[in-house]
Amino acid sequence: MPGERALELADRARRAAAGDEVDAVAHLEHSAFARFAASTVHQPTLVEDETVTIRVVRDGKLGAVSTNRTDDEGLRDAAARAGEAADGGRADPAFPGLAPPAEVPSVEGYDAETAALTPDEQAERAWTAIEAAPGHGLFGYVTSGVTEIGVASSTGLAVSQAMTDTTAVALVADEGLSGYADATSWKALDVDPAGVARVATDKAERTRGAGQLEPGTYRAVLEPYALGELLWYFGFSSLGALPFLDGRSFLTGRLNEQVFDPQVSIVDDALDPRGLPKAFDFEGVPKQRVAIVEEGVARDVVWDRRTAAQAGRESTGHALSAPAQAIGPIPFNLGLAPGEATRDELVENVANGIYVTRLHYVNIVDTREGVFTGMTRDGTFLIEGGRITRPLVNLRFTTSFGDLASRVLGLSRERKLVNQSDFYGERYPHGALVPAIATEAFTVVGTGSTPGL
Amino acid sequence: MLKDRAASGHQKYTLAASSLTRVPAHAMRDLCQNAVDEAVFAGAEYVDARVLSRRSQSVSTRNREIDSVSDRETQGVGVRVLVGGAWGFACDRRLSDEGAREAARRAVAFARASASRAHRGVTLAPAAPSTGEYRTPLERHPLDVPLAEKIELCLGAEEAMARDGIEVTQCFVRAQSETRAFASSDGADVLQEFCECGGGIDALALADGRVQTRSYPSSHGGSSAQAGWEYVEGLDLEREAPRVADEALALLRADPCPPGVTTIVIDAEQMQLQVHESVGHPTELDRVYGTEAAYAGTSFLGPDALGSLRYGSELMNVTADATTPGGLGTFAFDDEGVTARREPVVEAGLLRGFLTSRETAARLEHGAGGSMRADGWSRMPLVRMTNLHLEPGEGSLEDLLADVDDGVYMATNKSWSIDDKRLNFQFGTEIAWEIKRGRLGRMLRDATYTGVTPVFWGSLDAVAGRGEWQMHGLTNCGKGQPGQHAHVSHGASPARFRDVQVGVRS
Repeated sequence: MPGERALELADRARRAAAGDEVDAVAHLEHSAFARFAASTVHQPTLVEDETVTIRVVRDGKLGAVSTNRTDDEGLRDAAARAGEAADGGRADPAFPGLAPPAEVPSVEGYDAETAALTPDEQAERAWTAIEAAPGHGLFGYVTSGVTEIGVASSTGLAVSQAMTDTTAVALVADEGLSGYADATSWKALDVDPAGVARVATDKAERTRGAGQLEPGTYRAVLEPYALGELLWYFGFSSLGALPFLDGRSFLTGRLNEQVFDPQVSIVDDALDPRGLPKAFDFEGVPKQRVAIVEEGVARDVVWDRRTAAQAGRESTGHALSAPAQAIGPIPFNLGLAPGEATRDELVENVANGIYVTRLHYVNIVDTREGVFTGMTRDGTFLIEGGRITRPLVNLRFTTSFGDLASRVLGLSRERKLVNQSDFYGERYPHGALVPAIATEAFTVVGTGSTPGL
Repeated sequence: MLKDRAASGHQKYTLAASSLTRVPAHAMRDLCQNAVDEAVFAGAEYVDARVLSRRSQSVSTRNREIDSVSDRETQGVGVRVLVGGAWGFACDRRLSDEGAREAARRAVAFARASASRAHRGVTLAPAAPSTGEYRTPLERHPLDVPLAEKIELCLGAEEAMARDGIEVTQCFVRAQSETRAFASSDGADVLQEFCECGGGIDALALADGRVQTRSYPSSHGGSSAQAGWEYVEGLDLEREAPRVADEALALLRADPCPPGVTTIVIDAEQMQLQVHESVGHPTELDRVYGTEAAYAGTSFLGPDALGSLRYGSELMNVTADATTPGGLGTFAFDDEGVTARREPVVEAGLLRGFLTSRETAARLEHGAGGSMRADGWSRMPLVRMTNLHLEPGEGSLEDLLADVDDGVYMATNKSWSIDDKRLNFQFGTEIAWEIKRGRLGRMLRDATYTGVTPVFWGSLDAVAGRGEWQMHGLTNCGKGQPGQHAHVSHGASPARFRDVQVGVRS
């Protein structure tokens, strides 16, 4: 039974510890990465790991210890040190206690065929991508993995889930040209690495001879890759309860106000089978669908138990694992509602402006004002007369998400699941369901290099 | 202190008390050797194996309450192989003979799956078989410091930041101990024990919907060093706390940095990030060859730029130094068993070196590797920065300011972004001051500057001297897929640049 092993491990760990309250989170990973550059696999990585985090509460004091020594001795050691950490600390008045037992929703997100992919099959999938992009170098990766999470608590909580995920990334690049595409799903059959490589090849061929562009605020079409990247940074900096309560969030003081165009609705929905579904968070709290922005009106942010207690709310199931919990809850399953336009109609709506495939090195300039900077890459074009006419060099933008989402010219009816994990640390697949957007306000402040190598 | 002596017998080396592994040092080395033997038996032309045990601990406080106390250990074995000219890597968390051999066999099988279609074979630059041991010199092991003492330190620093208008204060300290054994089929047999620690504070001020943050000693998770607890005590977080809070409040009333092209003087902390992003990453030779193209990006440098490309003005001297005492990138041997070295990267403005692996050095036919580092046991080593420094020039910060009639002094990184070839960048700092007739004037908020790497470095016209030189350690340098974090240190003095675009906003 998928997920059963994680729950069994979490329960063993929980029983090894002594305290007023104890919980344990088991996080298991079995994954393969076939990373390639210049059409050669150069960083093939197979990972097997299992980590347990034990939290012990004694006299209102909390200690947390993680270990990947999961034999009985390892768990006993970790449990003892978690107890010592609690004893050595101070009572935390903001700690709301461990989560009570709860019925978690039944979600999809596990595919037995994906889980059963062998390393040879992973390598073969990488090669189908490479062979589909002849003539230029292919850079990227094909990966798939199984992640199991189990949470067991002295409160009686016992939940588990197994997730599969697979992603194919293709950058076709050569001197003076580059094009990008990717695909993500929890089912390997839904991701065609060769098809992804062909889309990237087609895009790359159109980037030769890139021209310059004067700085200024432009109308623009952003593909889902670009919008998904901005949405991730906006979510990280503004859509969690901690920055909201601190006053750092774009939404602080703006709930129930019209903050964006009425075409813009944002949810975090871990239950949606079109995304990368999750049943509960790292506190074992059931995931809830959270309407963050409805028809342009700010409605809510996402909560964990600590921030919810502070604000007199209920957790929405968005806690991270300890010790990352200190940065507050994060929306891992964002979705932006689709519109009714085709991609071509968005370009027509823009009439004169730019077309952006993908962003690079986005960073936050001002969280309160929702200002971000970064570069475009791997497919930036000029739009003239409602048509894409010629390629552009990579552009530096410094733009307000608020402006971008307030002056919307249209959204595509087709949405894409965009991978948002860079696979640091333990595997925890996440991504956003986003359409392409046409906006009146995308501010270019400089130009960078030509596309490609 | 670096120890580079021949192994005098595995059994004689004992681990520090703060290491958690139940596997003794000699057994860690034996596991490496077993993995190497197994992979060679399975058909590998080259093998290296790392057995690693790491314990990290952090304490963070927020608004004068405990926010998080955590303790984390991880251990395992990672095996990298070359089979038929193709790489393979596999890992196993079990520190047992079975785990090591199974990882070796899986690595060989995964490499073999690619080998039949490998377009380009791999040649490794020659490396003398390394044998030796290294241990971070320290006075007080940070994992031996009681939690209560760490909590007191954090709360004391926070208390010193408390004042009206400061909405959030935070303090954190961290400690890490890591034992790393390494062996290769080229005869390397190495044991290294690293210890690092660090900390930092920040204060968030809020008024009228405006938010300003100040931090110390940097905004990137404070600063860390490879040292004992004496490093954290030396940061003197509580002493700096009042200034940090006062400046955060003052920024709420400050004018925004006006846009324009002007002279800027950059403090040591921001210079370190400037070096990291615009010199460190572009000189990673794997990026030059395109292996990071799909993610972290490539480089504006080509292999033929070595020795001929003018990177900056003659005042620009950048050194890669894996031997710097206290540096997070300090070791005796890298993750290919290559002995640590100190090498010029830029000398008098000319590109003189790349950061290399044995593979990329052989491809360039220059260098010998020495910059390969892996984030733990479950990741392949990549070309990474070690400690990369802007060498000091002459004079003081005041001397740099004195020669500015009209300009901006910027301090402490706040935002950072650079393009995929490491050319076009935009940085923002937490705080700035105008410079008028050689002196600091009014405080400015929301300062940013932008430029193109060789043009910007070409406008360097002064670097302050050794007395202003500071080194900070970052723990968040990301690269690779799956992602890896590297811990690196940078040293720099304040520096002055002419004709720079500042004040970029949307």
